[in-house]
Amino acid sequence: MAIAEDRRRLDIRLTVLQVSIAVAFGLLVCGFWFFQVVQHPKFKEMAENNHQRTLTLRAPRGIIYDRTGRLLVENRNSFNISIVRKHTKDIDRTIRVLAQVTGVEEKMVRDIVDRNRREPSYRPIVVLTDATLAQVAAVTARRLDFELPDVIVQEVPTRRYPDQSMAAHLIGYVGEASEDQMASDHVTTGSIVGQFGIERVYNKLLMGEDGARRVVVNSVGREIRSLEELPPVQGRRVQLSINYAMQKAAEDAFHGYGYWGSAIVLEPKTGDVLALTSLPAFDPNAFATGIDRATWNALNTDKLRPLQNRAIQGRYSPGSTFKIVVATAALEEGLITPERQIFCPGGGTFYGRFFQCHKAGGHGYVAMREAIEKSCNTYFYTVGNMLGVDRMHKWSERLGLALKSGIDLPNEVESIVPSTEWKLKRNGERWYPGETISVAIGQGQLSVTPMSMAVMMATVANGGTRVVPRLVTAVDEGKGWQPVEQQPSPFAPFVLKPETLSAVRDGLWLAVNGAGTAGRARIAGRDVAGKTGTAQVISLQGKERARGSKVDLRDHGWFVFMVPKDKPELAGVIFVEHGEHGYYGATIAKHIIQTYFAQRDGLPLPPLPPPPVTSPAPVRAAVVATPVAEGR
Amino acid sequence: MFERRLYFHIDWLLIGAVLAICAMGLAMIYSTTGGAGRVYWTQVYALGLGLFAMAVCLLFDYRSLADKSHWLYLAMIAALIGVLFFGSVRGGSRRWIDLGFFNLQPSEFAKATLALMLAKMLGESRRPAVTNNDLLIAAGLTALPLLIIARQPDLGTAVTLLPILLVIAFVAGMPMKYIYAMALVAVLAAPIGYKFALQDYQRERISTFLDPAQDARGAGYQQIQARITVGSGGVWGKGFLKGTQGQLRFLPVAHNDFIFSVLAEEQGLVGVLVALGLYLFVILRALDAARLAKDRLGAYLVLGVLSSFTFQVIYNITMSAGLAPVKGLTLPLMSYGGSSLIATLAGFGLILNVRMRRFTN
Repeated sequence: MAIAEDRRRLDIRLTVLQVSIAVAFGLLVCGFWFFQVVQHPKFKEMAENNHQRTLTLRAPRGIIYDRTGRLLVENRNSFNISIVRKHTKDIDRTIRVLAQVTGVEEKMVRDIVDRNRREPSYRPIVVLTDATLAQVAAVTARRLDFELPDVIVQEVPTRRYPDQSMAAHLIGYVGEASEDQMASDHVTTGSIVGQFGIERVYNKLLMGEDGARRVVVNSVGREIRSLEELPPVQGRRVQLSINYAMQKAAEDAFHGYGYWGSAIVLEPKTGDVLALTSLPAFDPNAFATGIDRATWNALNTDKLRPLQNRAIQGRYSPGSTFKIVVATAALEEGLITPERQIFCPGGGTFYGRFFQCHKAGGHGYVAMREAIEKSCNTYFYTVGNMLGVDRMHKWSERLGLALKSGIDLPNEVESIVPSTEWKLKRNGERWYPGETISVAIGQGQLSVTPMSMAVMMATVANGGTRVVPRLVTAVDEGKGWQPVEQQPSPFAPFVLKPETLSAVRDGLWLAVNGAGTAGRARIAGRDVAGKTGTAQVISLQGKERARGSKVDLRDHGWFVFMVPKDKPELAGVIFVEHGEHGYYGATIAKHIIQTYFAQRDGLPLPPLPPPPVTSPAPVRAAVVATPVAEGR
Repeated sequence: MFERRLYFHIDWLLIGAVLAICAMGLAMIYSTTGGAGRVYWTQVYALGLGLFAMAVCLLFDYRSLADKSHWLYLAMIAALIGVLFFGSVRGGSRRWIDLGFFNLQPSEFAKATLALMLAKMLGESRRPAVTNNDLLIAAGLTALPLLIIARQPDLGTAVTLLPILLVIAFVAGMPMKYIYAMALVAVLAAPIGYKFALQDYQRERISTFLDPAQDARGAGYQQIQARITVGSGGVWGKGFLKGTQGQLRFLPVAHNDFIFSVLAEEQGLVGVLVALGLYLFVILRALDAARLAKDRLGAYLVLGVLSSFTFQVIYNITMSAGLAPVKGLTLPLMSYGGSSLIATLAGFGLILNVRMRRFTN
């Protein structure tokens, strides 16, 4: 009996064990079913993230050429050293070791990693751009030792500007995309996009499409094999309207004479920008791999403002060059004929105030051509007074001197030529007729960019057709060079009367080839037509007060030109900061023009002419005590 | 002593299932260690030795073995103490005796020896139900090797001795109130034990089990990787040698503690069901042997051997799916490990022995 009961108890307890085991196995099956069926997609992705690394293959940006096919911007290969946190066991150690072997500041590496903390951990964080070969070698050696499995070295195409700072403001520079740009350009973190100049404006064309390579890595980050590769597509090739030789001639001349400023040369018919410079400039190579803080700060705090594109962002008083607008306006409005003579006794009285001409004894009787040639103030006081400020404003706008040129560069500022309406709106004051007199000779509240000046000259050269300056002439979308269609001019067309044209052109020709101030631009047989101008930095009274201060108060010099006079192939402007008068401008223009013709005719390029001998010409105040000249 | 007719009572089905599991294990070891290398061949040799040990255990009547169990027990204790002093150290613990060609892990053999000892002690008792005295002695006999093994330290293997005691005591008629009391004590003592009895690394393992993400690179890493390994396998698996987690070593000790995860990754839910089915078959079939056993001694012996086997199987597979704290517990018959395989097969030899001799006198 005892045995039987014993047996029964054993049986029961065995059954309990049996059932418990079966239940345990049932639960295990449920667990595996849950992971392998229900949550399979999630774990599958996690496994892939574990062993697959997607490396971005950065697309080389498009190459940029000048109009003659000379290379302006290309790419070189550089090395980026990055951390892939996905494979990091101890980020502090990685940072420490990496900083140590590459010899960079540990804090810098840590800052970069911290800044990108939120990025997905499989995306490499670039901590060192443009690494030296020694750094690359040091890291690669460590990697093979399994010490830095989470560090990768990638070869990336990087922008190279072989001519350094040449045309820097025009070409621009690249840099890591900002938050806003990531959205607007549809790029990811760390992408390199254009930040300035052509690089920025034509970024879409130049950028290309990044490729990708998916590789299998093991748990220590070593690449086992490649899964697939999507090759990058290089950015489009772009041809600029710039003429390398002329651009170089312009910058060489500025550097040779030791001045800063801006030069623009246009092809009047098309609006092609043949040269565009703004000095001092910067070296875009410094930005190509990420600019360091010190250089960036230096560029930003430099009093000479090297980052400003003076051609479209600098505004200056036009001085005597404005007389071209006044002359054209007066002739077109039919107020005078070119032959109408006006007597210059050395100045004139308008609205109860005496306005001086720069020639003490006066020019005597002068007609239009001679007035332009000799830049007679009295003549233009008289004509400007007949026109009134609003008509001067109207013609400034028509010729392109007011408002923006519309060039395909960012951040262009508007040129200002005042009008009664403008003054009312701006100051809430009515226009005083006396102000008109000083405006007539380019003084007063005029404030124009070199670019608008160049456009004005091109419009006069074209006999009335105002073009929009453009920088890109052809783009290679992958099927060879395709010329960029000339956009129809958005401005109302008008035709200047032949007698207007011939009078203005003759006057400008005489200024260079006759008794004018622009003789330094004279080139035998080329019929250069041009005009100098002086932009006061500060009024004479202000100059007296500021005497002895370190601020450079010398006047700016202008020279505007077109060549050849009757069928202009070039129109342009040279603005010389603190050049005192237009002599340097004329000399620089001469060098550019000579370079143009030499290149066109297949002759050797000319050497830079010696600096102009500037006789200490008595700089006389053109206007005495005008209310607007006081630098308000 | 080995009569011919006994041959016909050998449970060939059980042997077949055991060998099938061993074969799956070999295949997974092949896959995770990159082909037929040293590890693979060691396991093959161990399998041969294990089958030999199994045959040896079949050869002698389990009753005569039980009669010598106290000697075996003493030898086992001596070996364990010997390891503490003369064992070779690997990975921070002293578990092995270096035999030159082979590293023997005596603790693996402690299980079957203890089962034999306890079966003998409680099974041959003439009283119908166990007395408290018996239970105390049994507990003492278990505690001795357990504490020695824990000193190596090898807490995982030490813990596998507990099911032997519990299950044999349970079927031997331990009163239910003790079982309830033990459950209560376990629940109450857990927080205290967690705080005082465990080492830092052990506490860390348990806390990361509850929330693996808190330490995704350290202790939680294995657990997260185990789940990824299993979950990414899907229904059909990635294919033999095609697993990424095991092959690329995201999952550590894949050929050892986590071999079942790799099986789940490469063979999918299908492979898991096959393996689980085989294990369940083996266990239930062995339980049958206990039921059929001629005497209490035989039944207790089978259950003793089976209990630690079953505990280890269930715990390891649960851990393989990332559902239990990571412990150095291997999966018997599948994981790499010569001593474990030999000892396990020897244990099955004892189980087969009991079943085979169910009709003899």
